[in-house]
Amino acid sequence: MVKTNKRILRAVLMLTYLMITGVLLFLISSIFSFLNTGADRSKMLHTEVKKVDQYLPKISWKLDGNEGREISKQKLNAVQNDYIDSWYVKHIAYKTNTRVGIKDYFTESARNNIYDILDYNKLNNTSIQSTTLQHNLDIEFFSEDGQLIVLKDTNAIEYKKVFKDDKLVLESTEVSDYKYVLLLEDGFWRVRHMVKESSEKFKDISQKTPISYTNIKGINYYPQATPWDMYGDKFDINIIEKDFNIIKKANLNSIRIFVPYEDFGKANVKWEKLEKLKQVLDIALKVDLKVVVTLFDFYGNYDVLDWTLNQRHAETIVETFKDHNAILAWDVKNEPNLDFDSRGKENVTAWLDFMIILIKDIDKNHPVTIGWSNTESATILKEKVDVVSFHYYEDIANFEKEYLDLKTKITDKPIILQEFGLSSYGGFWRPFASSEEDQALYHKEIQNILTKNNVPFMSWTLYDFDIVPKEVLGKLPWRTNPQKKFGFINNKGEKKLSYKYISN
Amino acid sequence: MKLKQIYFLLFFQLVIISSFSQEIITKNTLVSLLSTQTEYTVSDKIILDFKTKDNNNYTLYCSNSYGSSVIKPIISEEKISFEIPFFLSKKRGILSWKLINNKEILSGNITLKPKQQPTSIETYLGPPSIDAGGLDYTMLVVIPTDSLDNPIIDNSKVTVKHQFLQSEKKEAILTDKLIGYKNIYSPTKSGRMIISSESYGLNSKEFDVNIMPAIATDFKIFVDRNHEYADGNQITTFYTSIIRDKNKNIISDGSYIEFYITNKEGGILKTAATTINGVAHAKIIHPDFEDIWKIKAYFIGIAESNTLTIKYKKVIDDYIVSFKENNRVVNVGPLESFMGQIIPDGLSVKLSIYKKDILINALYKESNNGFASFFLDPNIYEKGQYQIIIETAGIKKEFKSFKIW
Repeated sequence: MVKTNKRILRAVLMLTYLMITGVLLFLISSIFSFLNTGADRSKMLHTEVKKVDQYLPKISWKLDGNEGREISKQKLNAVQNDYIDSWYVKHIAYKTNTRVGIKDYFTESARNNIYDILDYNKLNNTSIQSTTLQHNLDIEFFSEDGQLIVLKDTNAIEYKKVFKDDKLVLESTEVSDYKYVLLLEDGFWRVRHMVKESSEKFKDISQKTPISYTNIKGINYYPQATPWDMYGDKFDINIIEKDFNIIKKANLNSIRIFVPYEDFGKANVKWEKLEKLKQVLDIALKVDLKVVVTLFDFYGNYDVLDWTLNQRHAETIVETFKDHNAILAWDVKNEPNLDFDSRGKENVTAWLDFMIILIKDIDKNHPVTIGWSNTESATILKEKVDVVSFHYYEDIANFEKEYLDLKTKITDKPIILQEFGLSSYGGFWRPFASSEEDQALYHKEIQNILTKNNVPFMSWTLYDFDIVPKEVLGKLPWRTNPQKKFGFINNKGEKKLSYKYISN
Repeated sequence: MKLKQIYFLLFFQLVIISSFSQEIITKNTLVSLLSTQTEYTVSDKIILDFKTKDNNNYTLYCSNSYGSSVIKPIISEEKISFEIPFFLSKKRGILSWKLINNKEILSGNITLKPKQQPTSIETYLGPPSIDAGGLDYTMLVVIPTDSLDNPIIDNSKVTVKHQFLQSEKKEAILTDKLIGYKNIYSPTKSGRMIISSESYGLNSKEFDVNIMPAIATDFKIFVDRNHEYADGNQITTFYTSIIRDKNKNIISDGSYIEFYITNKEGGILKTAATTINGVAHAKIIHPDFEDIWKIKAYFIGIAESNTLTIKYKKVIDDYIVSFKENNRVVNVGPLESFMGQIIPDGLSVKLSIYKKDILINALYKESNNGFASFFLDPNIYEKGQYQIIIETAGIKKEFKSFKIW
């Protein structure tokens, strides 16, 4: 007995010794290898100076000539840059009640007018978050010596959120006409005089666009191998074409795809990404599938000063594809109501509102919708969207009632069930979770309800996935694993039991 | 028992009163604006009155040309008043207001007009110098501003005054787009013009514009030299006539005139000078051999002169070459000038030495006291048969089968 105990003790001691040595060796070697890596050579020289896009409101010029000296395109550009920067520093100043940057863009006497307001706001704990969405500029006068400009800004759209004691007290959108006298000082076009000549409340004049057809039998689509990363390096149009054929053969007529905001290059959309999206849309047209394009995937800032960048992003994409025949509708954002807690409901709603106005202004042929994650949120902005979309992942027993309730609230617009589904994730260790049979049963039942009530639908999703990026649901396996098993076809390409009920 | 009844009554009253007060609140969310004036002048005191019975939590959002703020009310009975702070009401333009009580209740605009009387006239004049002749102009831009630094009302009269030599002019312009401007064209004469402006009795500072002569017209050139001999020593001066623009203004001092000289062989020599009082004097040394020069002057890209031809005469007709010390010392001279005088030191003499028609070397010397002496070093030039050519003042002398030992 004593002998065995001694042996155990000895073995434990030896193992501990080995482990400590191992850990020490690992630490020393990692320090050694860290010290052996040199400086990053690409960072030795400041070879490139990148201009960061911080603020890009929509700008249009009325180039109808001006009094005084003729103005060159280069000079116009310089004026535009400094003028827009003057707005940007003003937004920052009123947001933070600090004077940073003001003196670069306003002459000595003009800046005092801003300082007065800033001081008062600071004293009274008032701050204003604002942005401008549009400027229509016109040079009215350019002096012969090239030092003075009279600039007119018509229908400048200003959005403001007024905070008093850190509480939002007012949201205001104004359309104003301004007249400026700008002086060239120290290489800056500085504001000398600024006169607001008129100001009105912003009116949304966008027209409703009816959806081309409501008999939607659709599915949310990601390629099996590259979910949430459809336009990355592994983009393969042949795989997508094959999948689209599968979808078409399954008696479905539409798909919903996602455009990731950062991956597409934020405000400056990359042409190679647009090219890939174009290929996807072209194939959809070829196979005769209608496409709902969901914008702003993986975006969640909504900060007022970020709006202009977002708008340039949406503008480029919508402008490029507004005449594409495969497009069924624009979905502004996927499940924005999930950001209400972290970003504020007012913020998100206002962001969506202006994004809808922008998209509708560019594309007058395709309807706009928002992919709300539940029926409660689906009534938000119902006057603004053309089609109401909602997602349903709750108990199937309540579905019909919730849908009919929603229908009484929204009488004049089509309602689309834009996402629904059930994971087949389960197994002997989670006997009560789910199974392929449960999933099939779910789809059978829901299809009955959908047929009965004639509900346009788009299910989640075609494939089981092997990977779910951590940006989607985090890293925790008990959250990501079920998400991998929502497909009608498993990761080996075999049809699951639910496939039978993919459409009606 | 009685106590109980009293309590009950009290409670009952409380219930009634509280229900009344609730009713009042619902009624009084109806707020109306009492102030009717919507147009003010910038220094006016602006007070907005609203009729309301409940006076909790009202604030007024105001936004003028430069920014926005939120102001607190002054509460009195059945009325709340907002006094627009001076820093918002002092600027010309639209002042938008919104009455807020958790949300927007009423809104409106006030127009703030600038004062008519300016207290300063900001003046920008440029370009500061222009060409005479009535084609070029300078622009006067004025921004008359009131005591609160607002550009005064559009269509205000500004008188532009300018003086040049004997003429004094006054012209009226109207401000438009916050500013007023006038193009002032140059007179035909060069000089200095004085400009000022006046608006509603207020006079600006004095500004001046230089009226520079316009571009030059073609001119003539002349030559001045001590003698006409090519002695390589004296200096020839070329000068221009007084260069003027088309309105007879003498062109600006310091204009650069270049003189191009083409000699007999087609080579080009160049000299240059800048003008003073319209005349440029350029100098060049005489050639040291007989030559004919053709001279033309240019104000590059602007004007040119006539062509002048001058001749330089030979100064030396002949000279003697003597050999000494095994023919290794070659003396050239005496070199005598046109009156027989010794030519000034520094005349270039060239000795070329050939062997079997191949040039071996060319030696240069400058004359000293009328002589130039060459030494043919035995370490370089071995004994033997050579050919030498001596050249100076345009005269060539050749010695064939020249032997040194």
